[in-house]
Amino acid sequence: MTDDPKAPGRKGVSRRGFLTSVGTGALSAVAASRIEAEPTERAELLEGEELSKVTLILNGRSRQLLVEPRWSLAHVLREELGLTGTKVGCDRGECGACTVLVNDVPRYACLMLAVEAEGARIETVEGLMEGEKLGHTQQAFVEKDALQCGYCTSGQIMAVDGMLRSSPNPSLDEIRQGVSGNLCRCGAYAHIFAAAERAAELKREGGAS
Amino acid sequence: MLPKFSYVRPTSLDEALTHLSSDGAKPHAGGSDLLGCMRDGVFEARKVVSLSALQELKGIRQAGGGGLRIGALTTVAEVASNSLVRERYSALAQAAAEVASPQLRNQGTIGGNLCQKPRCWYYRGEFHCLRKGGDTCYALAGENQFHCVLGGSRCYIVHPSDTAPALVALQASIRIDRRGDSRVVPLEDFFVPPSTDVQRETVLEPNEIVTEILLPGPARGLRSSYRKVRDRGAWDFALAGVALALEFNGGRVAGGRVVLSGAAPVPWRSREVEQVIAGKALDAATCGAAARAAMADAQTLRRNGYKVPLFEAVIEEELTNIGV
Amino acid sequence: MTLDRERPYWLEGIDLPDTPSQDEDIEPWDETKVVGKPLPRVDAYERVSGSAVYSADVVLPRMLYAAILRCPYPHAEVKSVDTGAAEKLPGVRAVLSAFSPEDAATRPHSEFIRERLFNTHCRYEGETVAAVAAETPYDAWDAVRAIEVEYERLPFVSDEREALEPDAPLVHDAGNRVAEPSTYERGDVEAGFAQADVVLEQEYRSECEIHTPMEPHGAVAKWDGDQLTVWESTQGVFNVQSGVASALGMQFSKVRVIGHYMGGGFGSKLSSGKYTVIAALLAKKTARPVKCVLTREETFLAVGNRPPSNMRLKAGVKRDGTLTAMQFWGTGTGGAYRAGGTSLLDWLVRDLYTCPNAKTETTDIYINAGPARPFRAPGHPQCAWALEQMMDALAVEIGMDPIELRLKNIPAYSQAREGNPPYTTTGLKECLEEGARSFGWTEARERSSAASADGPMRRGVGVASCLWPYGMGSPPATAIVKLYSDGTVNLNTGAADIGTGTKTVLAMVVAEELGVDPGEVQIENADTGTTQFAGASGGSMTVPSEAPTVRAAAIDVKHQLLELAAEEMNVAVSTLYLKDGKVQSTADPEVEREPSSLRSLGRRRMLTGVGHRAPNPAGKVVNPFAAQFCEVEVNIRTGEVNVLRFLGAHDSGRVMSLLTYKNQVVGGITMGIGFGMTEARVLDGDQTGKMVNKNWHDYKLPTALDVPPEVECVPVDPGDREANNTGAKGIGEPATIPTAAAVANAVFHATGVRMTGTPINPSRLVEALAAQRGE
Repeated sequence: MTDDPKAPGRKGVSRRGFLTSVGTGALSAVAASRIEAEPTERAELLEGEELSKVTLILNGRSRQLLVEPRWSLAHVLREELGLTGTKVGCDRGECGACTVLVNDVPRYACLMLAVEAEGARIETVEGLMEGEKLGHTQQAFVEKDALQCGYCTSGQIMAVDGMLRSSPNPSLDEIRQGVSGNLCRCGAYAHIFAAAERAAELKREGGAS
Repeated sequence: MLPKFSYVRPTSLDEALTHLSSDGAKPHAGGSDLLGCMRDGVFEARKVVSLSALQELKGIRQAGGGGLRIGALTTVAEVASNSLVRERYSALAQAAAEVASPQLRNQGTIGGNLCQKPRCWYYRGEFHCLRKGGDTCYALAGENQFHCVLGGSRCYIVHPSDTAPALVALQASIRIDRRGDSRVVPLEDFFVPPSTDVQRETVLEPNEIVTEILLPGPARGLRSSYRKVRDRGAWDFALAGVALALEFNGGRVAGGRVVLSGAAPVPWRSREVEQVIAGKALDAATCGAAARAAMADAQTLRRNGYKVPLFEAVIEEELTNIGV
Repeated sequence: MTLDRERPYWLEGIDLPDTPSQDEDIEPWDETKVVGKPLPRVDAYERVSGSAVYSADVVLPRMLYAAILRCPYPHAEVKSVDTGAAEKLPGVRAVLSAFSPEDAATRPHSEFIRERLFNTHCRYEGETVAAVAAETPYDAWDAVRAIEVEYERLPFVSDEREALEPDAPLVHDAGNRVAEPSTYERGDVEAGFAQADVVLEQEYRSECEIHTPMEPHGAVAKWDGDQLTVWESTQGVFNVQSGVASALGMQFSKVRVIGHYMGGGFGSKLSSGKYTVIAALLAKKTARPVKCVLTREETFLAVGNRPPSNMRLKAGVKRDGTLTAMQFWGTGTGGAYRAGGTSLLDWLVRDLYTCPNAKTETTDIYINAGPARPFRAPGHPQCAWALEQMMDALAVEIGMDPIELRLKNIPAYSQAREGNPPYTTTGLKECLEEGARSFGWTEARERSSAASADGPMRRGVGVASCLWPYGMGSPPATAIVKLYSDGTVNLNTGAADIGTGTKTVLAMVVAEELGVDPGEVQIENADTGTTQFAGASGGSMTVPSEAPTVRAAAIDVKHQLLELAAEEMNVAVSTLYLKDGKVQSTADPEVEREPSSLRSLGRRRMLTGVGHRAPNPAGKVVNPFAAQFCEVEVNIRTGEVNVLRFLGAHDSGRVMSLLTYKNQVVGGITMGIGFGMTEARVLDGDQTGKMVNKNWHDYKLPTALDVPPEVECVPVDPGDREANNTGAKGIGEPATIPTAAAVANAVFHATGVRMTGTPINPSRLVEALAAQRGE
C-alpha cells in the first residue's frame, strides 16, 4: 500500500479524459436543439473504484481534478482543493452551510456529486472576493454583524448573493424565504435579514460585485 | 458518507433507459432524495444513472386545450415560479413553493418530488422495517406522531410530496418511459398504497422513469389552492395539508377534487369532502360538514390523534377561503 | 448544591491555576470612547471571506481521516470486534477498538464523565466501539461498515419517568438514581401557603434539547515525536489540553491545543472529547496527522444535550402580589452517566423573586441515552418555563398585571446563598419597566384582549424574567498586552471567541486604554502553546473575566510607557497621561509625543504589560438579570403560532460592544424559540430505545421563517462599580433563559390555553385547543 491517495495503483484512473460535457452551464441555452440534431455520443460509465477527471469552472477559472463518482462537491472543494470557506454542517442537505452557487443558483454542495458539476460554473464564498476586497454581500454581513460563530456564514452569504442575482430588490418576506434554507444555530437571523437588505443596497450603489 | 457506486450521465433518454435496465441501477434526477437514501442505507445503488444531461426532459411547455406539459426534470423552483403555472394552477405553484428549502427546490425536480421515498423516520433510519423487507412496522407501536390517519395498512407512512396532492387534485397525468415503450398514467393511479404492496410507493418498475407531467387545461370556473400546516417554516413536511381544485358555477361547487397531504400513504383523495360540497355553496355549515366528513373514517395511532382536529381545521379554513 | 464558590459546577474537578490578583485597584470607566460603541467585529473579515480556518477546515500534508463506529443499541455488551475485513480495504491505515493493544484505548477518559475510551459496556446509543483512519473519509466509512461487532443486547430504559420503577432495567448496577435527591429549604412553606390568598400547583415538562452547533465536534491531531498538536473546535483550549494529557498520560508541555476559530458550542465543547483522543491515538499509530470530525448524526447522540425536565411547582401569593411560599419538585436525567441531569434546575425558584419560604427537591436519574453536557444556562430555561408560567398564572388569579406581580417581588439580595449576600446591582426592575415601555406592553395587552373577534386568529403578549447565577466572571485569568515601538499593539489571551465577540470586546478594551484603533490590535488567542491562561468560554463568564484582565494588562503597559516617556522627557511621570494614543502632559498642554517617537521605546522594541483578573467583590453577588416580552398570533383552529415580535431588556452591566451584545440577545431569543416551540429529542422508548430524529430534518431547529423579523434589544446598565473594573456582566445565557416562557405566556394570553410542556407546536397546541373547546 502506498500512502499517497493519488499514487498510481491505489486506484485506477479512468481511461477517458473527460466526462461527456453537454448541456450544462453556459451551454445549456443552446444545447437542447443541438442534442436532438446530433447523433448522441455514448456516455462513459465511471467505475466506483476509479478516479475520473472532472472539469469545473470554479470561481471563474477552469479546474480539472480527479474524483471518485461518490465524492460530493463539498468534499472536493474543501478537502481536495482547500476551499474551506464552504463549510459542511450536516452532509445531508439539512443546514445550508455548504451553499454554493451553481450557474448562479444556490445549491447544497454536500448533496451534489462532484461529477454532476462537470462543466458547471461553481462559485464559492472565496469567489465573491475581489482580490483582498470583500464583495458587497460579505461587506453587508460585516456591517450588520450578521454572524456569530461564522460557521454558517459562508452559506448564508452565498444564499443571499444568489437570491440578489435573481431578485435584486427583495422584500423582507423574500429575504426570509431566501435564507430559509440556511440554519444559524447561533440564531443571528434578524441580523442576517438586515444584512441582506444592506447587500441589495450596496449592489445597487456599487454595481456588480 | 456514500458507499461506492459507478456513475454514468447519458445524453439521450434511450441511452439512460438502457442503463437503467441493468441490475442495481438507480436514476439520479436532482439527486437530493437519491443521495440521502443511499447515505442512510435505505437502499443501495450499484450504478447511478444521471438524468441531468437530458435536456428534453426539462422545461414547461404549452399543450393543447390550454394545458401544460412539464418535463420531469424541471426543478421544483421553476414550477413554483413559472408564470403559466401560477396563473392557471395556483395549487401547484403554492405546493411547489412549500417544498423543502430554496436550495432543495433549486435542485429537486418535479419528477423526483413525485417519486421520492417516504420520510418515515423508521424507514429512513437504522430499522429493518416492513417496507425495507423486514417484518415489523415500527410506527404502529412506536413514535407515530407523523404517521397516517387514513389508508394505513401494515405500514403507516404518509406520502411526503406537496406537489403530488396538488397535481392529483388538478387531474394531472404522467408519462412513464422504459426502453422502447411509453405510457401515460393518471397521477391518481400512480401511487401504490401499502394495502396493495408494502414495498413500493408507485407503479414505476426499476427500468422506468417518469418523463413528463401532463396538466389538462383548467376547467371553467376552476379555483385551486394548497395549504400546508407544518412545525416550522422550511425543511418540513406537512403535518396536515389540503389541495383543492374546485370548479365553481354560479357560486356553487360544480366539480373538482380535494386531496390531502400528510394524511395517508398516498396523496389522499377525499371523496367524502367532494360529496359533501358537490353542488353546494361553500357556506360555514357546508365547510364544517365537509371537514368532519373528511375525518369520519380516520384511524388514529397513539401519538397522531391531533391530526383529526388539525385536518378538520385546515380543510374547513381552506374551503372557506376558496369559496369567498 | 451550593453556589458559594466562584466556580460553576461544570468546572469542578478541572485544575485551574490561581493567578495573582492585580495589585492596583482599577476603577470602572466613567466615560468611554470606544467601549460600548457599535463597531464591527475585529475578525469579521476572516469570518465572511472564508479565510478563517476552523478546526474542521484544517488540511495537513499526508493527513488521514477518522471515522468512529458507534453502538447502535441503547444498552449492549460488546462481545467481539472483528476488524479483519476493514483493515484490508483500500486506503485504510489503522483500526482501533477496545480489543486493540493500545493501553489508552481502554483507560479511563474524562469528558465531564469518566468512562473508558472504547467501552465494551455500551450504556447509550452512540457509545464508541471502534475507530478507523483512512486516506479519505469515504474510505474510512467503508471500513466502519466492514467492521463486524458482536453485541449482546441488554434491557434498557429510555424515560426517566419510568426509570425508578421497581422493574426498570438498570443502567448501572447500583440503581438508576444518580444520588439521593438534592434538597433546599428556607422558612416554612406550609406556613407560607397558609398565609396565601391563592395557592396554585402545576406540573411542567421540558423536552430534551440538543446543542448541535453548526460546526460538528472534532479535532485534528499531529505528532512531532512525543509532541502532540491538536486543532480542536472547542470553547476552552486549556480544558482540552488537560483532558488529552490525562487520557494519554502526558505532560501538559507535550500537548499543544489550538482553537483559533470554532463553529459554536453552547456548552457542548467545554472539554476534550473522545474524538480528540481517538484522533491522537490514530495519528500515533499511523505516524500521520488525523482529522476526526463527527458526523451530524453523531453530534445528536454522543456529545451532550439539555436534559429533559419534569417539574412540579406549588406557589402561594397574597392578593397584593406578595409571594408567600414556593415549593418545587424536579426530576431529570443526564443520560447514562452522572452528567448534571438536574443541575441548577431549581435555582430560579430559590432566588429570582423575594419569597420567605421556599423548598425544593431535585432527583437526577440514569437512562440509556447519551450523556448531557452543559447547555447555555444549564437548568435555567427549564426552571423559567415552570416558574415564569406560574407567575403568569398567579397574576391572572389575583387579577394583577404580570409585570406588576414581578415588580412586587424584586430581590435585593441573594436569598438562596449562605448569609444572604447582596447583589452588586439588580437591574430587574429597570428591565421590566423599560422593557415594558419600549415594547408598548400596556397598549399591546389591551389591543390583544380586544382582538378576540370572529375568525381563528388571536393575538397575545407575554413576559418572563430571569437572573443567571453566574455571569460574574472570575479569576484565574491572565492577559498580555504588548506595545511595539511603532505604537501598535498585540493582545495575547487564551480565551476562545465562540462567536460571542470576545476578541472584539477585548480589542475595544485595549483601544480604550491605549488609544489605538480596535481593528488594528493584533490578537493571539486560544492556543495553549503561546497564549495566557483563560478559562473556557462558557457560563457568560468570558467578558467579565477577560475584559478586566485585558484592561489591567493595557494599563500596565500604559504605565510602563509613561515611565519611559517621563524619563526621556525628563518630567515627573505623575504629570503624564495617554490620550488618543499620544503621551500628553497636565503641566504643559503643548506637549504631545507619539509613542513611536520615544527613542527608549525604540531601543526596547516592545513593552509587555501583564494583567491578572482580580477577585470578585467579597460578600457580594454579581448576577445579570433580564426580562423578555413577545407578541404572538395564534390560529386557534390549527394551533399555528406566529411570533410577531420580541424584545429583550437586559441588565448585563456595561455594554462593551453594542453590535455583539445585541446579537447575543437576538441569538438567545432564537434559541429560546427553538427550545420552546420546535425542538425535542425523540427516543423510540417503547421498542428499540434508539433516537429516531438524529438529524436536522427530523430534529427541528428554528429557521429564518420561525423567528420574528426584528428583535429589539434594550440594554439596562445599572452602572455596576463593584462587579469588576469594567462593570460588565455576562449576556450570553440570560439572553435565552426567559424566552420560551414568554412565548408560553403570550400563547396563554391569546388563547386561554396553558401549554405546560415544550415544544408549543401545532400538533400539541391543536389538541389542547380542541380539548378547551370540549372536543
